[in-house]
Amino acid sequence: MKLFLRISVFALLILLPTLNVVAQEPVTIEWWTVASEEFDEAVQRALVDQFNAEHTDIQVNMTLLPSDGYDERMQTTLGAGQGAPDVALFWNTNWYPQALDLTALIEADPDIDPEMYLPGFWNTRVVFNDQIIGLPLGVGANFVMYNKDMFDAAGVAYPEPDWTPEDYIAKVAELANPDARIWGGDRPRGPYRAIWYNMGARLYSDDSTTTEGYLNSAESVAAYQWLWDLVATNGTPTPADLEVLGTEGTGPVDLFLADRLAMATLNQGHMQNAIAANKRFGIVPEPQVPGNTRHVNAWSLTVSVWKGTEHPEEAYEWLSYWAGPVGQQFLMENGNLIPSIPSVLENWEAADTDYGQAFLSVLELEQVAAWDNKHPCKGTVLRAVSDAWDLVMLGEIERDAIQAMLDGLVPAADAALEECVGRLGG
Amino acid sequence: MSQSKRLTVADIQQMSSASAKRFRAKKWARYFAAYAVMTAIAIVFMIPLLWMFSTSLKSRSEIFAWPPSWIPEQPIWSNYAEAFNKYPLGRFMVNSFVLVLGNTMGELVAVPIIAYGFARLNFPFKRVLFVLMLSTMMIPGQIKLIPLYSIYNQLKLTNTYVPLILPSFFGNPFFIFLMVQYIRTIPRDLDEAARIDGAGTWTILYRIVLPLCKPVLAVMIVFTFLWVWNDFLQPLIYLSDFYTYPISVGLAFFQGRYSVEWNMFMAATLVSILPVLVLYFFAQRHLIGGIASLGLKG
Amino acid sequence: MVIARWRTASPNARREAVEGYVSLIPWMIGFLAFTIIPIGVSIYVSLTQWTGMEPPRWIGFNNYVRMFTNDPLFWQALKVTLGFVALSLPLKLVLGLGLALLLNLKIPGMNFFRTVFYIPAVISGVAVSLMWMWLLQPDTGVVNTMLYFAGIEGPQWFWDPDWALPSVALMSIWKVGGSAIIYLAGLQNIPAHLYEAAEIDGAGAWARFWRITLPLLTPTLFFQLIIEMIDSFKVFTEAFVITHGGPLKATYFYLLYFYEEAFQNFNLGYASALALVLTVIILLTTIFVNYTSKRWVYYESE
Repeated sequence: MKLFLRISVFALLILLPTLNVVAQEPVTIEWWTVASEEFDEAVQRALVDQFNAEHTDIQVNMTLLPSDGYDERMQTTLGAGQGAPDVALFWNTNWYPQALDLTALIEADPDIDPEMYLPGFWNTRVVFNDQIIGLPLGVGANFVMYNKDMFDAAGVAYPEPDWTPEDYIAKVAELANPDARIWGGDRPRGPYRAIWYNMGARLYSDDSTTTEGYLNSAESVAAYQWLWDLVATNGTPTPADLEVLGTEGTGPVDLFLADRLAMATLNQGHMQNAIAANKRFGIVPEPQVPGNTRHVNAWSLTVSVWKGTEHPEEAYEWLSYWAGPVGQQFLMENGNLIPSIPSVLENWEAADTDYGQAFLSVLELEQVAAWDNKHPCKGTVLRAVSDAWDLVMLGEIERDAIQAMLDGLVPAADAALEECVGRLGG
Repeated sequence: MSQSKRLTVADIQQMSSASAKRFRAKKWARYFAAYAVMTAIAIVFMIPLLWMFSTSLKSRSEIFAWPPSWIPEQPIWSNYAEAFNKYPLGRFMVNSFVLVLGNTMGELVAVPIIAYGFARLNFPFKRVLFVLMLSTMMIPGQIKLIPLYSIYNQLKLTNTYVPLILPSFFGNPFFIFLMVQYIRTIPRDLDEAARIDGAGTWTILYRIVLPLCKPVLAVMIVFTFLWVWNDFLQPLIYLSDFYTYPISVGLAFFQGRYSVEWNMFMAATLVSILPVLVLYFFAQRHLIGGIASLGLKG
Repeated sequence: MVIARWRTASPNARREAVEGYVSLIPWMIGFLAFTIIPIGVSIYVSLTQWTGMEPPRWIGFNNYVRMFTNDPLFWQALKVTLGFVALSLPLKLVLGLGLALLLNLKIPGMNFFRTVFYIPAVISGVAVSLMWMWLLQPDTGVVNTMLYFAGIEGPQWFWDPDWALPSVALMSIWKVGGSAIIYLAGLQNIPAHLYEAAEIDGAGAWARFWRITLPLLTPTLFFQLIIEMIDSFKVFTEAFVITHGGPLKATYFYLLYFYEEAFQNFNLGYASALALVLTVIILLTTIFVNYTSKRWVYYESE
């Protein structure tokens, strides 16, 4: 009996390490992403293969989803509270409550420091309820892209970075040739974006209590009147043109590339298209009324760990690899990502070009998101006042009637605001 | 007078050949009118498609040139090859085909039984149950997304084809309704005769009723193929492995985050509808027939 | 009452009832497992405020009260959707039948035409919507160019508040080849000897259509009416891709509102309430149509 016990103990001692090995099967991390102009399928697969090779204890499983449909899939799984990925793009601010608080993990991580990211993007994209809920992957921004060939052909001076909304209209009128379907510039894609903010207009009060004195302020009226003037030049593509000929929703890049639109509010993804098409183009920020703060509509892809993950540490390991210096460097060199980490951004191949410089300076402007993130009811209120935009775009309202129209929309806007604040707060 | 009353065989032959001539002339006039109308409508119906085809052969800048052209300056046939190189479209189509087979099987097993019950058998609460069945069609599908996902996830069936095929074995209300209406137009005499011969309910269904339902079964197959082929949301929600995606999801990859490669997107779309059309071309002769031809024989 | 009838029923009737229920088993399983539970969940969610991200908050019937008393968008969406149903449903029914009658002609080469008319029903999604945006482009689109040569100044189609809804209806009519197939199947069920008898009686083509084809096709018509109605109520993609509900909310369809609430505003409680109200509206309409059907639908077997 004693002998048997000894043998057993001995056997156990021998077996224990092997048992341990069995228990240490690699952890699988589910990762959801999309393919885009900045990182296509092959580049991301290469990155994840590199990570998996370096980490024997973690294996990342990539799921590539179409960007059209990504929201529905995320919303379904997050809403069901199950089946969501360990690591994913949390590009919608509404998903933030389902993102894991990474503050402690980041503090303990010697390789990641909040200071190493561009501050504007850090503040607007990954801080939620005083928690760090993700890391910002890459940067994106809207700016006015102009076609140098078309400017030269029309003998019009290139726009300067400190130009005004009036300059924009003047150039549109000079550049356009409506008979040949050649347009001077595009129309903004909606109200209360960067150019509205540059004119000092806001949709409602900072404390989210009323639209009175905001929606119908002198600045808002001026912004809508500016749009009215722009439409009246006949130098912009009509809404029909914009939707048909531009790839609507993302900006009329194809119209721009076809030399039929001299100026367009586009983004860095479109910039890649223009570089690939060998276009001569320049970049300026959106125009601004002198004295106001200049704004930019900018974003960064927030990548987060889902709250329901079973392996938060391993998930963070992959997350910080992907959106940290290593991953962003890799995606920049092998894809078209423009990193959100200045020390990596220094090596951007376009950093010394004119357009690269212009793009980098746009990134330093005040972000529209700074206000918008604090006011989640903006979309709901905008929907309630969409008629104002439609009427001006259709040219179905007199310029002088704009003030009265906005005054008239205040009650409906206030009702929408009140309902939304009651639901979401803020 | 009396002479004329007595028709000879030759007279009859002559007369019938004259009337046959007139009849044939009339028939050809009608054919011609029918062809003219059909061709006119066909052209109108084809215009959008021709535009898609033309776009698929253009360069990206030519798509947006003005004035727009119908015939590409230099047709770029390689757009098709490039679309196939970019994503495994062939693989996606095979996956779609597997889903179609599974769903077709499910519908063919379930729908006739359920439809026969509703159309021919009497039982308490039939009308209520029928309306209840119809009402499941009225609920916007998106509302069921989250609860259904939870169910399948708890059964560990996500990232399999089960959530995409299993429902067909419970019968699609659209097809059930369609078949119920069809069976109700088949005279009951046939059933009764078989019953007197000692046939049971299920024998009547499979031996008498189902063979007469060929047109409606053909419609079922054609529509199942079409819907499964085009369904985007369900596979999007349930599948995770890239190489298991069906073609509907695959096509969405041509829409980037910032722009769409229209020429390749159109090329891929056109290729993706070919299998559906081929199937339809062969299925349609089964659409014609059924009891109409039976009446002819009777 | 049912039990009493059951007791007095003949053995044959009892056996038939049992067989009836047996035949419904596949549907019952699906209904209980995959419909009842989601609907139950939706009803519960509709009584809460829920973003999908945090636990739902019970608010009783507030969502429904707000919908009917204090939500102009709900009424706008309902108005637009009903208008679309009223506009497109009769057109689709009549044109689908007309096309099916043409395709039912027994002449050579018909296989080709049947396939051509079916093509539009096959393509779906974004490609179709984009194609229509091109065709109906006010300045350069094919349709207005042709109208121009005919001496007509074409409308602004999707981009005119008055024409946006008819434009969407036009798109759905283009797909009428799909429903023509169902008519075609229905036409096969009309015995040929009836036509022969009518021809001998000297009935012309028009009379044969009204006296034979149409009455015997009423079961199919009834089916099409209900199916197309449900479909029209659920119109969504065109508005989602092309018009975004505009201009001036002229195409703000009910399901577009539902989608915005569910997937853009994360207002799942309200979205569920919207979906359930739509279901009830369609259901009541169907029950009404079903009720009238006794007067005009003719079944050979009954």
